[in-house]
Amino acid sequence: MLSETAILRIKDQIARYPHRESALMPALDTAQRENGNYLSREAIREVAGLVGVTFSKAYGVATYYSMYNTERVGRYHLCVDTNVPAYLAGAERILAHLCRTLKIRVGETTPDGLFTLSEVEDLGSCGTCPVIQVNDVYYEKMTVAKTDALIASLREGIMPPRKDGSHYGTACSILLKNRGRKNAHTLAVYKRTGGYKALAKALAMQPAELLDMVKHATVRGRGGAGFPAGMKWGFLPKNDPRPVYLICNADEGEPGTFKDRQIMQYDPHLLIEGMAIAAHTIGCRQAFIYIRGEFEWIARILEEAIGEAKTAGLLGQLDIIVHRGKGSYECGEETALIESLEGKRGCPRIKPPFPANVGLYGCPTIVNNVETLSVMPFVVAHGPEAFRAIGTVGNYGPKLFGVSGAVRKPGVYEFPLGTPLETVLAAAGGVVGQLKAVIVGGLSVPILTAEEARGLPLDYDACIKAGTMLGSGGIMVMNEKVSIPSIALRAIEFYAHESCGQCTPCREGSVVVKRLLQGLVAGRGSAADIDTVLSICDTVIGSTLCPTGDAWGMPIRAMVRKFRTEFESLIR
Amino acid sequence: MNIILNNQSYEVPDGLTVLEAARRCGVYIPSLCYHPKTGPAGKCRACVVEIEGLRGLQTACTVRVRDGMKVFSNTERVLQAQRLVIDLLLSSGEHDCLSCEQNGVCELQQAAYFLGIERPTFRIERDRADDRSAEFIDRDPARCIACGRCVAGCNSTVVNEVLDFGFRAGETAVIVDDDLPMGASSCVQCGECVQLCPTGALTDKKARGLGRAWELEKVNTTCPYCGVGCQVTLHVDRARNRVVRVTGREVSPNQGMLCVKGRYAYEFPSSDKRLKYPMIKKDGQHVRVSWDEALDYTASRIKTIIDQHGPDTFSAFGSGRITNENNYAIQKFTRAVIGTNNVDHCART
Repeated sequence: MLSETAILRIKDQIARYPHRESALMPALDTAQRENGNYLSREAIREVAGLVGVTFSKAYGVATYYSMYNTERVGRYHLCVDTNVPAYLAGAERILAHLCRTLKIRVGETTPDGLFTLSEVEDLGSCGTCPVIQVNDVYYEKMTVAKTDALIASLREGIMPPRKDGSHYGTACSILLKNRGRKNAHTLAVYKRTGGYKALAKALAMQPAELLDMVKHATVRGRGGAGFPAGMKWGFLPKNDPRPVYLICNADEGEPGTFKDRQIMQYDPHLLIEGMAIAAHTIGCRQAFIYIRGEFEWIARILEEAIGEAKTAGLLGQLDIIVHRGKGSYECGEETALIESLEGKRGCPRIKPPFPANVGLYGCPTIVNNVETLSVMPFVVAHGPEAFRAIGTVGNYGPKLFGVSGAVRKPGVYEFPLGTPLETVLAAAGGVVGQLKAVIVGGLSVPILTAEEARGLPLDYDACIKAGTMLGSGGIMVMNEKVSIPSIALRAIEFYAHESCGQCTPCREGSVVVKRLLQGLVAGRGSAADIDTVLSICDTVIGSTLCPTGDAWGMPIRAMVRKFRTEFESLIR
Repeated sequence: MNIILNNQSYEVPDGLTVLEAARRCGVYIPSLCYHPKTGPAGKCRACVVEIEGLRGLQTACTVRVRDGMKVFSNTERVLQAQRLVIDLLLSSGEHDCLSCEQNGVCELQQAAYFLGIERPTFRIERDRADDRSAEFIDRDPARCIACGRCVAGCNSTVVNEVLDFGFRAGETAVIVDDDLPMGASSCVQCGECVQLCPTGALTDKKARGLGRAWELEKVNTTCPYCGVGCQVTLHVDRARNRVVRVTGREVSPNQGMLCVKGRYAYEFPSSDKRLKYPMIKKDGQHVRVSWDEALDYTASRIKTIIDQHGPDTFSAFGSGRITNENNYAIQKFTRAVIGTNNVDHCART
């Protein structure tokens, strides 16, 4: 039975959205929080009744997203990220230590009901891992000693405060210009540094003028695809009676990526100002920020900042809803994100139609990444030429590079697009040991050997020329100690866990490749298995409904092809 | 318009998808998640083809034909992708054809046959128990390929909204309500999902073991239950003179849909309790009589009763199982001939 307070809260959530089904995910979250972090079948039924969806739909959603606990969990749910960047930082040791300390296996709860231990996928904490998420709180840069202290404190019933701080640096002072400034997340500080002047300038301009400006600036989408934002906005139908929606994609699920959180946590108004500019340009009055649910504290910072901006009258008629994801990598894909925002399972749609024409609630919708929207104030304030003065031809502007793995100062560094890899790695303190391989655009792009990566300019076109992609700019550095087959196995485990499950090659193919790589790494594999992995990857690439098939087919194939001898050496 | 399919030119009407066009031209392209009623889903990826001018492989079920379009469904690249899809589906379930009800009409089997896949290459173990809890529908999740036709049918065609997808990735499964056994769920057993299922994951319980698809004679007829006139196909075992199964025909007025009675209450034609001729009770025993005697007797009894007690002692009860015209005649007879308004109907609630 949900409490009166929870029911009222759910009713508020329903009223908040243009369509009530969109409240399904927040309502399930409310029900779960109310009941000791556990979502019972009865609670799901009650939520389904309140929101007005069928039991099957609500249950399908509750079992799709990994942050809904349809099994009971302990008072402290310890989630250890063991994805590739965390693996490179030694997260396995933390996990094993927790198993020993708590005397439970992964997935189990201590008999006193205090702790549940889960191994989870990338938490967007790549520059500050190992990370343990306890309920809503991230504990980053963990060591065995710190883990012991954390457990001791939790046993006392005290959640230690979250500690911020990671390495950063900027050569552009655009996206990270306020990083390090005290209280930069507040409106007062943001305005003091010239904040919202660009918006005022934009509001005095005609949308068509602004669109031309953004088109001319050639702001390529920072989410991964590098598609020019101005061109995307230009695809919106003209003189259409339907409302236009703007969605900021803050799902940040690509392993190796932890850049958007730097903007949202430390400079939320930069994003909000960018969104307001974009909304004015495309004629949108209802915007959304779809943020991954693990970033709960950042979602609250954003909500506070939006409140401040609204109260100060800066947003005019624009409303921005912060919508939390609930643990699904796939929801970073724009049509899956839209489905999720509509209160459904995060399964991508067939394209065409593209969201610019048929998106959220069947209306014209623009989905842009946090970083893309956050450069808009600069573009408007300084003009497209100033933006084009940064970077290389066709790859303009600043870019956040998240560097993780074998470097001395993992963190986020802002450089012009086209900056050589070595420069970024040097900013991150240089490689620890001998550079063996590097993934430059998040886990979904082909790995480069040290040889291939030498002198690589980090921009969209140069990366394609080098046989990889810039993607999200999540750079994972691997030295001579790293076993590539282990990385390949951890990578495919991730995709096999995150596949939305609707299309066959991705759903089943990822499971088969996972089993084959598990066999190889365990010394049970054969040479034929290596060829089978390659053949599956070859066939899956280009044959799935959304890009996720490519997202694992290409990197796994590259790892096997480029480091085949390492795979072969595992055959007994 | 003209399309070129595997280097052969065909005339096809406008507005079709490549898959629909190919079917019309008699060219088989494997497909599983597409059904004309539930529309293109683009999910199973079995129908991938190459189309000149378009990058990568395209699903034939989602792309519309254009004049002069060049489509290839038989290149090595296409066949390799199709083979992987079918192989993975065979590997991920227990697709044992020997005693499967769908043997011979299974779309997965047909695709495997076309692509020459003898047995699955991989072995993906999953724990999926049968669900035999429902009265008329058997669920065999190990034979489910997650094509979603049943889910689309349940939600969009019959709008019963009972089935959906639950869980994720390799665990993705069709759920009934909130993952209940079908027998404990709100399912009304209309059987639309069984009719849409391309494999043996959903089958008619009562037809189990009573004959292979090719052994049964298909007889098209009109459902006898109500005035809607749903078009059905009776699957008849001639040797035993028995209806084994009923399916809806994908034509008007029902477009394949049937109610639980129309689909599953079909034993009466071969029931030995069936009334086959008129009988009158004489000396406590039912005795077979001629139609003339039966009608004369009935008419005279009605007349006597009305003469003695008045027309309001008479009442007529129409049935949903007869036509509107029959029901009209009943009320006309009751009002005009008998002279009472005591008319009712089983469907009046």
